[in-house]
Amino acid sequence: MGIQFKDVSFAYRGLRQNYDAISHINLNIDKEGEFIAIVGQTGSGKSTLVQHMNALLLPMSGVVTVFGQNLPPKKNEKINALRQRVGLVFQFPEYQLFEETIIKDIMFGPKNFKSTEAEALEKAKKAAAICGVPENLLEQSPFRISGGQMRRVAVAGILAMEPDILVLDEPTRGLDPKGRRDLMQIFQSIHEKQNKTIILISHDMDLVSEYAKRIIVLDQGKIVFDGKKEDLFEHPNFESFHLDLPTPLKILKELSKEAGITYQPKYDYPSLLAYLKEVNHE
Amino acid sequence: MNNITIGQYIPGDSWLHKVDPRIKLFSLIILMVGTFLIPISAEFTPLIAMGSIFVLVILLTWSTKIPMKKVINGLRPIVFLLTFTFFIQLFYVRQGQLLASYELYLSVSSIAGIILFIVFYNFTKKYIKTRILYFFFAAFMVFFIQAMLPYIPLYAYQLDIYDEGLLRAGFIFIRITNIIIMTSLLTFTTMTTDLNYGIESLLKPFKIVKVPVDLIAMMLSLTLRYIPTLLGETEKIMKAQASRGVDFKESKFKDKVIQIISLLIPIFVISFKRSEDLGNAMEVRGYVIGQKRTRIDAYKMGLKDFVTMFFALVILAALIYVRVLV
Repeated sequence: MGIQFKDVSFAYRGLRQNYDAISHINLNIDKEGEFIAIVGQTGSGKSTLVQHMNALLLPMSGVVTVFGQNLPPKKNEKINALRQRVGLVFQFPEYQLFEETIIKDIMFGPKNFKSTEAEALEKAKKAAAICGVPENLLEQSPFRISGGQMRRVAVAGILAMEPDILVLDEPTRGLDPKGRRDLMQIFQSIHEKQNKTIILISHDMDLVSEYAKRIIVLDQGKIVFDGKKEDLFEHPNFESFHLDLPTPLKILKELSKEAGITYQPKYDYPSLLAYLKEVNHE
Repeated sequence: MNNITIGQYIPGDSWLHKVDPRIKLFSLIILMVGTFLIPISAEFTPLIAMGSIFVLVILLTWSTKIPMKKVINGLRPIVFLLTFTFFIQLFYVRQGQLLASYELYLSVSSIAGIILFIVFYNFTKKYIKTRILYFFFAAFMVFFIQAMLPYIPLYAYQLDIYDEGLLRAGFIFIRITNIIIMTSLLTFTTMTTDLNYGIESLLKPFKIVKVPVDLIAMMLSLTLRYIPTLLGETEKIMKAQASRGVDFKESKFKDKVIQIISLLIPIFVISFKRSEDLGNAMEVRGYVIGQKRTRIDAYKMGLKDFVTMFFALVILAALIYVRVLV
């Protein structure tokens, strides 16, 4: 179960020719317990790939299987229910807010998926609490709060649908460092507490190395790497992926060269700090 | 979302693409005036004149290498108007020689037949490739059914087809088609920025009577510029709301209202935000309303521009001659 891609290709239609966005993608994503980062340069097909996961785009060739349902669907087969199971948060999701009050906006998703008013309210309150939206804000207009809070409200709007898999398209784009970390902590706690699979697109290698377990690298519409993050950063052809190393790894590499400290991969600042202290004591 | 043809420029390097936008616009106006000057009559010269304009338009299209299908698709919005005028002319012109006369019945059987046919039409039109022709055929069938099924009549009327009526109908049909194809040729071969420059230059004389020409031109160019941007934003919001369970295809009418609101409000908010940003960006770069501006592209007229204008004027002169003669 989960999501399977079998030889999937998709092209955007141009006037005279089609522009390949992704080609011959094979991918297997489990229903539970994965934290996947999709990285790659701008225009490498990341957004196109994730839009296949909840049937916003349908493959031109090949088959995507989402929770047992094959896409493209057969004639007259309904696909809307898939979007409840795979929740997709777009770039700049704050633009999708439209209701009079924040709580109503968060309730919009569950209500579309046949929840009663009371159920939707309950789900919305729960999602708002997870995302750290203060309770006294819930009756206010979503257009009167700060950008960072709007983003949380928008994420809560997806979480309230209680999806099994959460897909995030650059969720931290345009946020300050603290807002970025807070938001990532929310996703991390959802992943840890509910064991949900999370798929994250990001350009921020620091965040990717800190949170993701598995990394998929896309280049010109093709998967060039799919595996554990430990393997990626030690990959002999890392240069060919056109990626930046995460800052902790850069620091360690520099230190091992300049100060003779033994190189040992550390993927976030706390563990880097702990390691350096340990080395210092010796 | 992607098949809206407002200001749809098709890149290419034909001669028509390269003609100065002012000349192109001016020649278009001349040709349009000329087309309307041709008198509607059954005599030889007007028929030849209208026919040659039609051939000219087809040749022009061919010379720009724009796919004929694209041009014909440009006719789609006015198919209804074309059909309507055609039948109005056919019914109301009662001059000349009687060609044919039919007894038409609005009867229980024919109304049932028409309803059945419309249902059939709506189901089958998906599979027909030449949909415009199919629409004409459908319009014809509506009358044909009335002639064929007179049982249990409610109301009967006479359809007399006169040669004058048929001629006028055909004439007006070709005239409208000509004009639409000409205009779409202009928009297909001219970038919106060039088009806007052309309009601005042609409107310049109105400056004397204090019409804010450059302001109108700026508004026009910004509007045209923002159509694709806003379409893109709309698509994004549609997808975002689809991820929240909005489905325009699978839901009931009652739900559709709130779903459309979920699309409209974000677009409204975004367009205000965008225009605010744009206003700031323009002011930062020194835009002041009413101040004289220079352009980045200088337009110079060359030989082909004068030749184009010359030919347009020759055609106009010839058509005026036809008008005066007949």
